[in-house]
Formats: sequence, C-alpha cells, structure tokens
Amino acid sequence: MIQTKGLVKRYGSFTAVDGIDLNIPRGQIYGFLGPNGAGKTSTIMMLLGITRPTAGEIRLLGEPYTPRRLDLRRRIGVVPEKHPRGVWPWMTAREYLGLFADLFEVPSAPQRIDMLLEKVDLASVANKRFCEYSRGMLQKLSIVRALLPDPDILFLDEPISGLDPLGIKQVRDLIVSENREGRTIFISSHQLSEMERICHRVAIIFRGRLMVEDTMRSLLSRITAEREVRVELEAPPADLVVRVKNLRFVRDASEQGGTLIVKVSKEGDHRKALSEFLIRQGQVPLSITEKIPSLEEAFITITQENIVMLMRGGAE
Amino acid sequence: MRDRIHAAAVIARRQIQETLLSPGLYVTLALGLLLGAFLVRGFAASIDSSGFNPQLNPLYDLIARFLGGTFGGAFVGKLFSEGPYLFALLVSFAPVFAYLAIASVFRFGLEKTAGAVELLTYGPADGTAYVLGSFLKDVALALLALLAILVFLAVSAAAGNLVLGPLFFWALPVVFLAALAVCAYGILCSIIASNASSALALFLGVLLLFLLILAGSYSIASAPVRSVSTVAATVIQWISPFFYTAMCFRGLQGGGAGALLGGLGLLLALAAALLAAGHAVISRKGVRA
Repeated sequence: MIQTKGLVKRYGSFTAVDGIDLNIPRGQIYGFLGPNGAGKTSTIMMLLGITRPTAGEIRLLGEPYTPRRLDLRRRIGVVPEKHPRGVWPWMTAREYLGLFADLFEVPSAPQRIDMLLEKVDLASVANKRFCEYSRGMLQKLSIVRALLPDPDILFLDEPISGLDPLGIKQVRDLIVSENREGRTIFISSHQLSEMERICHRVAIIFRGRLMVEDTMRSLLSRITAEREVRVELEAPPADLVVRVKNLRFVRDASEQGGTLIVKVSKEGDHRKALSEFLIRQGQVPLSITEKIPSLEEAFITITQENIVMLMRGGAE
Repeated sequence: MRDRIHAAAVIARRQIQETLLSPGLYVTLALGLLLGAFLVRGFAASIDSSGFNPQLNPLYDLIARFLGGTFGGAFVGKLFSEGPYLFALLVSFAPVFAYLAIASVFRFGLEKTAGAVELLTYGPADGTAYVLGSFLKDVALALLALLAILVFLAVSAAAGNLVLGPLFFWALPVVFLAALAVCAYGILCSIIASNASSALALFLGVLLLFLLILAGSYSIASAPVRSVSTVAATVIQWISPFFYTAMCFRGLQGGGAGALLGGLGLLLALAAALLAAGHAVISRKGVRA
C-alpha cells in the first residue's frame, strides 16, 4: 500500500531523512514514531508529494508516486498536525467541506458531508464559521475533510496533539472505526501511549534514520530480557521470596506489602507454574498480573541505544 | 492534466466567489465608472467649432499636457478623435485592474503563509493548479469588469447621441490582455516572494520599473551608469507588458493592424510565458511558506 525505497531528504547540508525503507500492507494502522525533529514530517511531506525527495522512490497503492500524480491524491486523505486557522475566515464548516468535496468530485457530497459531520458530533455547528472552532473541533473537521473522498489511505500527522481527553478518545475511536472499514492508516506521532493502544505495526525514526520497524507485540518483546509477574497474596511468609528465587525460570524475586514481584525469563508463560508452586506452598494467589513493557519504554530503549551508537560513530 | 484543470476551476470559482462577496471590486468599479462619467461630462466643455480643444477645460488641458509630454501630441489627437470614450475606458478600467492585480498578489501571499495553498494540495491539486486557478479568476473578473464598463459607456454614449467608435472596440482586447499580463506578473511575484507584503513590494517595484522605462524617464546622473541603464532598459522593455501595450496603441494610432495584432499576440505570449515560469518555480519550490 505504501512503499518507500532509500528515501532521502536533504535541506542544504542537513539530512532530514536518511534512506528510509517502508513497506506498509493494506488495512494496517501504522505508527510512525520519533521525537521532535526526527524526520517524521519531512517523510510525510514526501509521501504526500508536497516536497520532492532528494533521492529514493515512493510507491502508493502499488503505483510509482510523484508530486504530479494528482490521480493518486484522490485516494489519499490527509490530516495535518495543525489545521491552518487563518484561512478562509468567512467560510462555514459546511462551505469549507463543500470546497473540498468539489475538489475531490465527491458523489452525493451534501449527504456525505452530513453523515461525516454527524459521526464526529459537528453537525450542530456545521453552519458556524470554522475559524471560531476550538482546537479539538478543528481537528475533527480536518478528519472529516480527509475522509470526504472515502480514501484508501489516511495520513494523520500528530492527530491527538493538543486535544483534551474526550477529544483524544473521539479521535482514537474514529481511527479504529475507519481502519475497520478497511482503510490503511498512517499515523505520525510522538504520543506513544496512544499509539500503543491503536497501532498494529510501528516504525521508530530517529535523526532521519529508521531504527526499528515491527509489529507492536514483537517490538515490545524484543526490548525486554525478562518479564515481571506480580502476585498478590494474603500473608506471604518471610522465607517465601527465597524459595521462589530457587525456581528454575525465576531470575529475581522480592516482596512489597503482600505482593510478590517475580522477574521471569521472557520465553514462555510462567504464570501457571508460579501459581501451582505457590499453592503447593500453602499460599492462595489473589491475583496474578504480568507487567508488559510499554511502547514508551521500548522507544526510550531504542533511541538511547542509538544515541550511544551514534556517539560512538558505530550506527549504520 | 484533467485533474489539474478541474482543480484550477474549483480554485478559481472559490476565489471569484470570495472577490464577489467582498466590497473591493464594487468600490473600485464604482470609482472607475465615476471617473469615466466625469471625463465624458467634461469632454463636452472641450469642444468648440474646430472640434476637440483641451485648452477649453482645465482638466482636459492637464490630461493633454501630461499625455502629450509622455506619448506625443499625435497620440493625444488620436486618443480623443472618437470622443472621450477611449480615454474614459482606460481611466475607468485602471482602478479595477489595479485592485484585481494587487488583491491577487495579496491573496496568494496570505493563503501561502496561512497554509491554505498547502491544504488544497492535500487533495488532487498542486501549486500549478493554484496558479492556473488564480489566473482564471483574474481572466473572469477582468472580463466582468470590462463588460460592466462597456455597458456603462455604451449607455452613456447612446444618451449623448454619440458612438463608441472602432478604436474603442479595438482597445478592449488591448486593455484586457495588458491586464492579464500584469496579473501574471503578480502571480509570479507571489510565487517567488516568501510572504504577502514582500510579494506586493516586488510586484509594485517591477511595475514601477516598467512604467519608468515606458515613460523614458529612466536616467541616472553619471554617463557610464546611464549608458548601462539604457542598455538594461532596452533589454527589460521586452518583458514589459506596457511595452507591448504601447505597441498596440501605436498600431491603433497609425492604423497599423500588424503592430496591433503583433502587440496583442505578444501580450498573450508574455502572459503565457509568465505562467510557465510560475509553474516551473512552484514545481521546484513547492507551496509551503
């Protein structure tokens, strides 16, 4: 659906994007992550044909893509990081969407506009000038505009940046529901906790280079050498920690206010064996939870590793 | 190509709508028509038994002196040979034309800075479609304004038992194409400049330069510099819409159809060349502010 090969963008002597290869299959929610200034927006601008790559190839929807391919742009929806606020101040939201419906030649445009406005709870303010909209309303309007042509691919650049919790939930739900309808969704963001909740696959870009690209599950397991299992017990005896530590699969154990914190090797699921052992010791596990590393931890680990590598001059 | 033309038409339609909803066009058109009416009315006072005599009316005396000093007495004689309408056409159209060109430059600059041009290019449009759309808007509004002026002057002539004359009708395509070539310059300036105010400054600077060259008042104190500037002016005049407009008027004045048609063709070619240059620059530079 989206493919790049050796994508490079240079601004003078500064290399913003340095040889990125992407291969995003149809129907995925793809998170394109990286800190500010990592090269996310430069990559998106090239994918959208707004800027020309210095080198490399882009294929969208199976076809070679250049800024001249306006026909392919009809099949793409774009939500920029910030909707420009000062444009067309005299336009209502409905007129604004009408302009883009004309541009995209959307069939049955008035009905589609109404349906999409309804979907994001903007129908009641559709005849209000959109320059008076709040940040969240503007973001939802931007998403409606992007969805107007019923695109195959939806590009979202920092879609939840600056939104309140309700706005974040609405946008998240919308992304998930649009993906269920078969749309491929490319999200560029540094809001890692949100990306973790919705993305199927993620790529981490750092200083213009693609550091890692994997499924969410595989990425998270890749960065951890061990897992942490927490077992809530009623009254653990003093020597229980020592006995647990002797188990073959246990790397370390400690006790904190009635909760046994056990570090186990990452291969296999050891919760059953651990609970059977505790029962044999006369303990009743009230709850067993496994702490999974977060995307944020993965991100920090990966970027820090690479900072060290870059400082040593060893990153390739 | 089809996508680009469709996008240009949508952009032009939106810009025309925006212009028609704002008072600027109506104010400048009203001002132009008022000036035209004033000139037509004053012309009657400049007629004696020998025909047109500008010295009879202080306003026409001033106009004749200024135009005679710049373009020559024969030009003034020809300009008023069919009555006041040819001159009234030029004067009436000038404020509308100035408004259209300046508003076009300013809008392009503002929309580029605000990110509106970029927003449009998220859809099936690109910088070239925007340039074409802006130009189409200029074409449509210049035609509309000319039509309004034509109707007004035709009614005025009919009311005074006068006719507009063939020179007047030949002048219509000249002023129209001259306006389009100037608007194309405005678009090119907007593409090159980084924001609205610098685009406007660049555009006005270029027009001023062309006007100075046309009026022949381009002189600098020291002789070597003057000779260089004369050479520069000779080169620059070929890219000036006013040079080709003057060529058309010389054709009109002398009855030379070749000069008139050649001038019209060159005005059209100049506008096309400026748009092509705009396409090349915006394709390379992109639409981001």
